[in-house]
Amino acid sequence: MLPDDALDRLISGSKKISDICKVKNIQQWEIIALQSYGHELDIEAGKISLAAGGGGGGYGIRVLEDGKFGYAYLADIGSAENAINQAISIARVSPSVDGFVLPSSQEAKQVEGLFDKRILSVGPDDLIQQADAIISEVSSLDSRAVVTGGGLGVSATAGVLTSSEGIEHQGITTTHGIGVQVSIDENSQLTSSWQGESSKKLIDGIPKCVANSVDWAKKTRDPIKIEGGAQDLPVVMTSEGLGSLFSIVVSSAIKGQRLARMESFWSGKAGQSVIASDLSLTDNARMNGGISSSSRDGEGVPTRSQVIIDSGKLVGSLWSTRDSAKLVSEGKIDHAETTGSASRGGHQSPPVTSCSNLELTSSLKPNNIHQLLDRMETGYIVNSVMGAHTANPTSGDFSVTTSSILRVEEGEIIGSVKQAGLSGNMSKALQSGVFLGDDVRVSGGSMYIPDVLFMQGLRVNPA
Amino acid sequence: MVIAKAPGDVSFDNGRRYLDQEKIQSALDKATEFGAEYAEVRLVSITDSSVSTRDGQLERAIPGQEVGATMRILADGAWGVHSTTDISSIPLQVEGTVKLARAVASRRGIKDKPVSLAEVPIIEDSIHWNPKKDVRNTELSEKLEHLKVLHDNSSDDSKIASVICGWHDEHIHTEFMSSEGMNRVWSFQRSLVNATVTARDGSDVVSYRTRHGGEGGLELIEACDLSELGNSAKISAIRLLKAERSPSGKLPLVADRDLTGVYIHEALGHPCEADLVAAGDSCLDGKLGQKIGNEIVTVVDDPTIRGGYGAHPIDDEGLDTKEKCLIKNGILTDYLNHRESAQHFGIEPNAGARAQDGLHHPLVRMSNTLIRGGTHNDIDELIEDIEYGVYACGSRGGQVDTGRGSFQFAAQEAWLIENGSITTPLKDVSVSGLTLQILKDVDGLTTDSRLAAPGFCGKGQTVPVGDGGPIMRIKEALVG
Repeated sequence: MLPDDALDRLISGSKKISDICKVKNIQQWEIIALQSYGHELDIEAGKISLAAGGGGGGYGIRVLEDGKFGYAYLADIGSAENAINQAISIARVSPSVDGFVLPSSQEAKQVEGLFDKRILSVGPDDLIQQADAIISEVSSLDSRAVVTGGGLGVSATAGVLTSSEGIEHQGITTTHGIGVQVSIDENSQLTSSWQGESSKKLIDGIPKCVANSVDWAKKTRDPIKIEGGAQDLPVVMTSEGLGSLFSIVVSSAIKGQRLARMESFWSGKAGQSVIASDLSLTDNARMNGGISSSSRDGEGVPTRSQVIIDSGKLVGSLWSTRDSAKLVSEGKIDHAETTGSASRGGHQSPPVTSCSNLELTSSLKPNNIHQLLDRMETGYIVNSVMGAHTANPTSGDFSVTTSSILRVEEGEIIGSVKQAGLSGNMSKALQSGVFLGDDVRVSGGSMYIPDVLFMQGLRVNPA
Repeated sequence: MVIAKAPGDVSFDNGRRYLDQEKIQSALDKATEFGAEYAEVRLVSITDSSVSTRDGQLERAIPGQEVGATMRILADGAWGVHSTTDISSIPLQVEGTVKLARAVASRRGIKDKPVSLAEVPIIEDSIHWNPKKDVRNTELSEKLEHLKVLHDNSSDDSKIASVICGWHDEHIHTEFMSSEGMNRVWSFQRSLVNATVTARDGSDVVSYRTRHGGEGGLELIEACDLSELGNSAKISAIRLLKAERSPSGKLPLVADRDLTGVYIHEALGHPCEADLVAAGDSCLDGKLGQKIGNEIVTVVDDPTIRGGYGAHPIDDEGLDTKEKCLIKNGILTDYLNHRESAQHFGIEPNAGARAQDGLHHPLVRMSNTLIRGGTHNDIDELIEDIEYGVYACGSRGGQVDTGRGSFQFAAQEAWLIENGSITTPLKDVSVSGLTLQILKDVDGLTTDSRLAAPGFCGKGQTVPVGDGGPIMRIKEALVG
């Protein structure tokens, strides 16, 4: 899949760019070079509809002079000089940030499990076999169930980061992803569920998400009518249901820049209790095999596992080099330094601060789903929401919709609800009465969270 | 690797081509020799520039260029696709891509129909929607001047905590060649400014987002009253500080044209996409020709509306774009389609194929989607007989489950309607419903229909879209 010399070519291209930077006597420069290759299959209407392969990539150049930075990106190495000139001209009109310098080279311990050689040899035929197996599995789990959408894909990304400060980092990571939309369309009633799984390692066979998807398409059939309108009741958010909301609201709230600018609902609360005292939140970029793990961040700084909330108290935040220098120079915070939390969306943009693998844990004994429902007594289970992206990361407020919701009474599931509104404030909901399940799964990108029972703070409005 | 040789002159609308036509023609011929029914190569070059300021200071400016190409081959009634930034490698990938398609075809069940394509006119030409002012010639200093106007007018109040302003422009150049003899080149530009205004009062923090832009060059930005755009966003943000939480329940809803656009995009547009219908993932399957909405509802999707953010002259299968009437007086009259889905349903192809860029294959997508105007003269006429309801404005986005036909969208700000008057400001209002019910519940539209603020639509790939319509009244919607 990935050419044997992919890294060599990126290194060679980066060297050409760095040579130009040196000739131009640029104070500091940093070059990111990325190249991805992969195969993917689309599934529609119960069959494989398309097979695709290929890849893309390019270079990004950040230059820094007297605390002013400029950036440009390119695909053709022949246009490097032009791109560097553009970056320099942007730097010259940019405001200077006191104390902003590119990070120097530091030792970084390797994070394991981010590369699986087996993925490199996965070809379209292997993916087709896996897709066939998934399609068959769905139909064997329920003869009415059909994979109406989704797909499978493998990819490998070669990356090289080079800087004037001696950083020369290179590596290859791999990914295998599977997602299925399973529908049951019978008696003029269509129910469906989307579930996915992603891994840095080869996913052998059929992942659990396939059976889960069939299960939820079945569970949500024949909805019951709930009278009484909107009610504040306990809700179990499954990992899959909570992941997207958690990722939009919580991962924004712990960025140092947002905290210092008073743009987070946890601004001004450093050292204070912000969530239930048994809960902790860790940003762990060094998790073996973690979806967002890496040994160095997007600026080449060694990554870390950082406790953000310890036993309910806000004790940390996420910073990149520029954000920390900028907020200190603006007087928004007395002291800040990079936490190795810079990430890149690709070669087309400079690094920005973001979370890696976010882990929500509790000091209390975890609960299985039956224990969560017993504790809940009456309430709902929500397995997916629509409109998580409309949540307000500044206030923590959200108002979303779900068609994947079950009603619970006296600790027992009594049926599904066709559609319901779900609203609340994530910050307030996490403050008390939060109980965690015993099965941590990755959802919402890189949120490592179990099913979570919220005893208060959520309102359900059945249609 | 990563070698996308530019023609060497960025003002390429002078006839220069990225694709070596002889080599690509030879590759397409080779695909046919291997037994392919159809093959195409589509190259897209995007030259773009993004600028953002925070509190009036330049935060970042990013110029760049991307070139990518996708080869699609239909063999034995199935698709194989190869995408690359290494344009010169395309001819080497023909055999492998044909094999990919055949591997997919070999898995087809007895009951499954092989893919075939609706016939379309074969055209060789170049179409360039030239802007009045080529945005590529705009200096960074000029962009910053425009953003300064936006910033200054959105920040001059003590309650405004921060203002982030953004600029994005892009020049899109596409080359398309097919084994059928299609050989087309087209280009156009998009320009956009936006601002996110955050207001704070004690521990209350709210944000309001505004956007202006569309298909076109610098003239679009120059024509916009950025001081008014900024001032209006500031007023909205400050108003949100005092807004109350929304009531929950089924209530009459009046939506401004921004939300009307998002509503019709989510509730109807996506379920109308014929690839989803064919996949069994649309609540509109089998409903062509049936009445699905109130007779006052007429909906079009029209990529030819110049200036709309979803405007484009040619779709990504090389077809001339045109207006598509999806609902006429409440009756579902058409699906948005591409050649494959048009053939599947035996309907006329209507040029609905769009891809995010040169590295993605085309899907059925919306462009500029509008509800046509109705008969009410203004909002006063729409709300005069509402005792208790919600007037919702501005979009924070939406989402749809096309199969179940349920959707959700969120408003930026809203007001209570009490006894025919707009009263208390509300915040965090979201609306949800079921497509097949709520289209029937639209019971009032003002006369003036036009596109609202530009937006983006995600379906695995992100494309710019324009949505809009008149001010709309829905008899009852689930508000939360």
